[in-house]
Amino acid sequence: MLSVEAVSKTFGGVQALRQASLSCATGEILGLIGPNGAGKSTLVNAISGVLRPDTGSVKLADRDLTGRGPEECARAGIARTFQNIRLFKELTVRQNVEVAHITCRDVRPDAADRIDIDRLLAHYELDVAADVPAGTLSYGSQRRLEIARALALGPSLLLLDEPAAGLNETESETLAEAIEAIRRDFGCAIIVIDHDLRFINRLCGRLCVMDQGKVIASGDTEEVWRDPRVIEVYVGQTS
Amino acid sequence: MSDSAETIAARPSSTATRAGNGQFRRSLVGGPVTALPAVVIGLAILAFAPAYYTHLALAAFVNLIIVVGLQVFMGNSNIANLGHSAFVGIGAYGVAVLSTPLAMKKLSIPNAPFGLAFVELNPFIAAVLALLVVAVLAAISGKIISRLSGVAATIVSLALLIIVHSVFLNWTDLFKGNQAFFGIPKVINLPAMLVASVAVIVIARLFKDSRWGLQLRASAQSPQAAAAFGIDAKRLRLMAWVLSALICGLAGVLFAYFAGTISPKLFYFQQIFITLAMLILGGMATVTGAVTGVIVLSIGLEFIRSIESGVTIAGIQLPQLLGLSGVALGVVIVLCMAFRPGGISGRLELDEQLSRLFRRNVR
Repeated sequence: MLSVEAVSKTFGGVQALRQASLSCATGEILGLIGPNGAGKSTLVNAISGVLRPDTGSVKLADRDLTGRGPEECARAGIARTFQNIRLFKELTVRQNVEVAHITCRDVRPDAADRIDIDRLLAHYELDVAADVPAGTLSYGSQRRLEIARALALGPSLLLLDEPAAGLNETESETLAEAIEAIRRDFGCAIIVIDHDLRFINRLCGRLCVMDQGKVIASGDTEEVWRDPRVIEVYVGQTS
Repeated sequence: MSDSAETIAARPSSTATRAGNGQFRRSLVGGPVTALPAVVIGLAILAFAPAYYTHLALAAFVNLIIVVGLQVFMGNSNIANLGHSAFVGIGAYGVAVLSTPLAMKKLSIPNAPFGLAFVELNPFIAAVLALLVVAVLAAISGKIISRLSGVAATIVSLALLIIVHSVFLNWTDLFKGNQAFFGIPKVINLPAMLVASVAVIVIARLFKDSRWGLQLRASAQSPQAAAAFGIDAKRLRLMAWVLSALICGLAGVLFAYFAGTISPKLFYFQQIFITLAMLILGGMATVTGAVTGVIVLSIGLEFIRSIESGVTIAGIQLPQLLGLSGVALGVVIVLCMAFRPGGISGRLELDEQLSRLFRRNVR
């Protein structure tokens, strides 16, 4: 579904991405991990069109999206949530979801028909708050709304940027179940970035580990954790 | 997350389109409800008030149309616009040049270029042509404004106002410069003005509640998130800018057709500030806010003007307080910005407030 090949990006002399490659198949949940400043967010920004890579390519289902801008990536079926929540705060909860659904209806009417906004809101326990401004929701509800809004785009690739940040253990457990349900019901490719390794290990069949702008390991979750370079990065970081 | 076994994406449905139609119908009903207070006041004046007040009311309704036009762009894009009077002026001068009787033109603009000194069009056709000019100029200026955001866009709108004003002042062959342009056919009365106001309010509501209005409001609140959900903010800003300009242009046309005489200074800073203060006071997020601001400030300013010239209360002669209305206008903007930035009406339209109140009472 998604294939990123040898993407590099330099910001004023700092090389944020060096020949980073990854792929994610339909129905797969890929974990993207690495220490702070490893380039995870930069890579997500390159995939979602926010950043234009210096070199390399980003393709979604054989469609070249390299440097196409966020609007076109969204229309091509890439939905994302934001690490620091970015809702349309003064619009109501329902309107936040509707905005995404409008775009979906424009570009993939069949996918839009399968999405029922009322059910989506109910499923994420947002139906009771459907008519209040999104900015007035609690933190946890705002996080759920970010996901509901992304799903209303009818995505073929879903990028979740630190969805478990600020959640307690039970909450992140529930979140993991919800993401698993998304994979099952929507059949999209999902990439999850997070620092909560227990959450990531439980959820992701495959991992991609980044350090200093490079992808240092990728493969099945268990295999990746046996990789000496990964151990070095993580043990080196904690000691 | 709820643990219901049913999946979210299972049921094929057409709720989306149904919801869309429902929204359209709601705004069609909501528009007239929003306009209701203005209509009631207008009809009351028509029925009971002396002629002097009718003239005041006509001017106030022109302001109402300008403020609604201003709301279409500012309220949805959240970009301050200081140039809207340029379009009011173009609308007014457009019909003045096109529809003034030839005998009058011989006196005022005998040397008009493009043979315009010998053109006398039916007022309706003149209005359509004037609005066409407004649309073209709005599309050109909008191309620039829509690429910018925040302060830069506001400064460009201000520059536009100054350019248009200079052209009115200095192209004397066509616009008569500093002097009043008189003899424009007076074809608009209060009932016609009321109809135009209601129409404009309904259009503003339809735009705000439409998918484009919703998308534009979303992009104003988080440009990054809007882009990540496929919204083309530039195109939407352009759309709102042109619609806003057309409404302001219409206000100019109507003004010229009821006043019969216009001059460039009418479409300059004083008008900008008074209409801006009305929108800020009423609340720019809603069309209801635009209507509320115009009503409150029109009545308030008229009251202040009456004491400005010095009145006698209970045998005591108050001194003249010239300039009081200008001070009051500034104070209104400052106080409102400081204590109630959302304005009087806040986030909800009148019909939404009413239906909420109704639902609460039923419960």
